[in-house]
Amino acid sequence: MQEELIKRRGLARGHAGKGRAAVAQARLILLIMINLAQLWILAATVEAALAHRFSALLPLVIASAICFAVTLTLIFWWRPASRHYTSSGYLKR
Amino acid sequence: MSSNLNKTIEKVLGDSRRDERDVREATAPHQSDFPYDRDEEAQVTRREFCNFLGLTSAALFVGATGFAGKAALDARRTETFTSARIEGAEVLAPGTSLNFRYPTAKDTAILVRSLDGNYHAFGQKCTHLSCPVYFDQGNHRLECPCHEGAFNAQTGDVLHGPPPRPLDTIQIEVRGDGEVWAIGRQASNVERLI
Repeated sequence: MQEELIKRRGLARGHAGKGRAAVAQARLILLIMINLAQLWILAATVEAALAHRFSALLPLVIASAICFAVTLTLIFWWRPASRHYTSSGYLKR
Repeated sequence: MSSNLNKTIEKVLGDSRRDERDVREATAPHQSDFPYDRDEEAQVTRREFCNFLGLTSAALFVGATGFAGKAALDARRTETFTSARIEGAEVLAPGTSLNFRYPTAKDTAILVRSLDGNYHAFGQKCTHLSCPVYFDQGNHRLECPCHEGAFNAQTGDVLHGPPPRPLDTIQIEVRGDGEVWAIGRQASNVERLI
């Protein structure tokens, strides 16, 4: 009985580990995609500035700021749900 | 032939391994104080890579903001220009060009004398990505070598290519003895949709 329980726990932990890895991988891919978008925004900003299309500058800067904010949230606040500690710092039972 | 090649490869690989071993032996006494595993150091963890992406994102945001801010400030600034004589313009043959700097030493410009003898001056920076334009005598137009943009040599208007607006115009004045003076510079400010 005890052995069966340990075995089940081990399997569950294995599944959780895979899930965590998937979340981390997805987070990484999202970060890369956001970086690419920001690179495009920077190129568009340079081109708009040289072309004197001043009305396009503010929206581009705002878009870059949003990307940066999303990056910060991804790095600092997104955590896999099955972590030992919750996002508010409490230890899970 | 192939055996010689194999011997050479083995020798080179053997030498490199021996070099590495020598270095390890030489630094062995310090390994306990300053442990360093080269293979381990070469690994980048996911967390490190995420942090690197975060820093890149910050740098791209700062770059976009800085560039936009500088462009907006430059557009609001009203400049006062002083007249400057363009040296050598009076002897410029029709159908040729001359480079000069105006209003400051950083601002390159180009003076074109058209076939009818009139002078036209423009800022030399292409309005696409700031490459310097040159005067193409054969086609009698200003061309940008970077992305094959072309401008009218008399008006500065875009003929073809990626430039989104005409070249900056430099106002000129022909004085008494045929001297050519630059008296002002005006950016063409044409807003176009992306």
